[in-house]
Amino acid sequence: MAGLSDYAPIVGAEVIGQLERLAERLGPRSLVHINSTRSGGGVAEILHRAVPLLQQLGLETSWEIIQGDPFFFAITKTMHNGLQGEKVNFTQAMMDHYLEVNRENARSFKWNAEFVLLHDPQPAPLIREMRPQGKYWIWRCHIDASRPNFQVWRFLREIVSEYDASVFSMSQFAQDLPHPQYLIRPSIDPLSQKNRELTEEEIKAVLDRLEIERDKPIILQVSRFDSFKDPLGVISAFRMVRRHTPCKLVLAGGEATDDPEGARIFAEVQEAAQGEPDIQVLLLPADAHHEINALQRAADIIVQKSTREGFGLTVTEAMWKGKPVIGGAVGGIVLQLQDYNTGFLVHTPEGCAFRIRYLLHRPEMARRLGQLARELVRSHFLITRTLRDYLTLMILLDNPGKRLIEL
Amino acid sequence: MSSPLGLKAVNLRELLQALHEVDEAVIHYHLFQSRLAIGQPEVEYPNDFALWAANSLQDAKLAEKLSSFDPFDYENLGEVRQAIIDLLEEYLWDLPYIPWARPGLELHFCEASTVVMRSDICAHTLGEFCDSLSQVGLDSVYYHFFEARLRLEEKGVDDFSYWIETNFDLPDLVEAIRGIDSYFYNLKEIRSALLGLIKPYLGDDCGRTE
Repeated sequence: MAGLSDYAPIVGAEVIGQLERLAERLGPRSLVHINSTRSGGGVAEILHRAVPLLQQLGLETSWEIIQGDPFFFAITKTMHNGLQGEKVNFTQAMMDHYLEVNRENARSFKWNAEFVLLHDPQPAPLIREMRPQGKYWIWRCHIDASRPNFQVWRFLREIVSEYDASVFSMSQFAQDLPHPQYLIRPSIDPLSQKNRELTEEEIKAVLDRLEIERDKPIILQVSRFDSFKDPLGVISAFRMVRRHTPCKLVLAGGEATDDPEGARIFAEVQEAAQGEPDIQVLLLPADAHHEINALQRAADIIVQKSTREGFGLTVTEAMWKGKPVIGGAVGGIVLQLQDYNTGFLVHTPEGCAFRIRYLLHRPEMARRLGQLARELVRSHFLITRTLRDYLTLMILLDNPGKRLIEL
Repeated sequence: MSSPLGLKAVNLRELLQALHEVDEAVIHYHLFQSRLAIGQPEVEYPNDFALWAANSLQDAKLAEKLSSFDPFDYENLGEVRQAIIDLLEEYLWDLPYIPWARPGLELHFCEASTVVMRSDICAHTLGEFCDSLSQVGLDSVYYHFFEARLRLEEKGVDDFSYWIETNFDLPDLVEAIRGIDSYFYNLKEIRSALLGLIKPYLGDDCGRTE
């Protein structure tokens, strides 16, 4: 596993030095992260890397998982969808079971920590049972809660209001809460399987295995087969481009789970791509990080034509690989892509097609966008930034009410 | 570190109302500190209010007015607040309608907390200063050059030019640094501009100490 010093050549020695000095000022404090899964999903992915790095910085950091039965996870999925603004049926029985599972977990937990960082709604009620076991309680919401379902939010707000602080990914997601709220942007790990540098041979081996020829420029979208990622819109944009310029489209997504919509959208995508040899639809296992990395590095243009997005870490990954990215003008994509600078924002399949054509005809501009995009990610969206934000957050909680803290 | 308030403006009248009510720290954030939060390579609009007018209200005329507004013309944030309020009130006076943002494009108010920490990098000579300036993070450039112009009591004075003024007899360089129109540059460009101004005083090599 990569150590802190391995990041110095990427972000600069000063950034690592700053982390070490911040941690030194903070002293040997204890921090526990609590979420609901150790594998799968962006939260677990970043915790796998952040926890050992925080330990290396001298913080006694642990990571606990909340346990639950299938009904509990169905409830928290409903809450997740509700926070994202979907109309959901959230019953009293669901609320009761959710609270009861948290009470059971509280009985089995043995930790004590000064800082308790709970991720997303699943473990939020633990504060009611375990408040004395932690000094500062922080709720970290990774979800786009900009327009939450009223019923779900009213219930959750009562619990979250008991916390000392909450953290959101974007200011749009923040809520009217009685405690300080902070912004921490999601980040990627430049040394993970999904983002580390690859040799040309490694890239070629993956493309050979996936039977992708590099005979034409490759347009790529990596995302789940989800209607909000608009894969059909991407196919439509591709067909418009193809009338003018030869290229091929690769749509790569995680394996369809038992999510009925995922299977349906995948079938629709396959149908739309039928009879078109220049469209390849790839269903990859959830842990195909190396393959995704190689695909992104082989692509000429990367698209993320979402119609709704939390932050859009696939955009961040593509930008880090120095690729020109065209993204839907939604959620965190808007923060990352700036027209003619770090990428292009689009609103329609037509806009997407136009920008693809624009970039195919202007390789110099494509290169420039890619370089600027990579630098933006280097400054703002790498894991070292998240570590700095966690350390700063702890310092701020130690100094309540102060807006300027001189260490 | 940015702190969202959970408060938003959906139209120009709500922005005006909020500007009357919010803490000065919020105005400080949207005029200055937000460029440190996400530093896009090109500063098309120099503050969040102008950017919001252009991108969310689709009001190019207002965006132009807010872009030309220079907060460094005023003595303190109280005066800056009043000047923006005056600008918006006058603009709204003649409008037959209130410009609205589409859902999702509201202006979300933030403030920030600052943690200042001494780095291990220091300079004793102008040459070392150049070296150091290339090594430090952009947050350090922001603190010493941008925020200092508000922090130091003397108007338009930043930490860098102050240090050069008190240690070296280089009044032209001091004046040139204070003349940088910082509001229209991103932090990287400010660093390059500073290095460009100092370089002639060192000979050919910026790394060479005096």
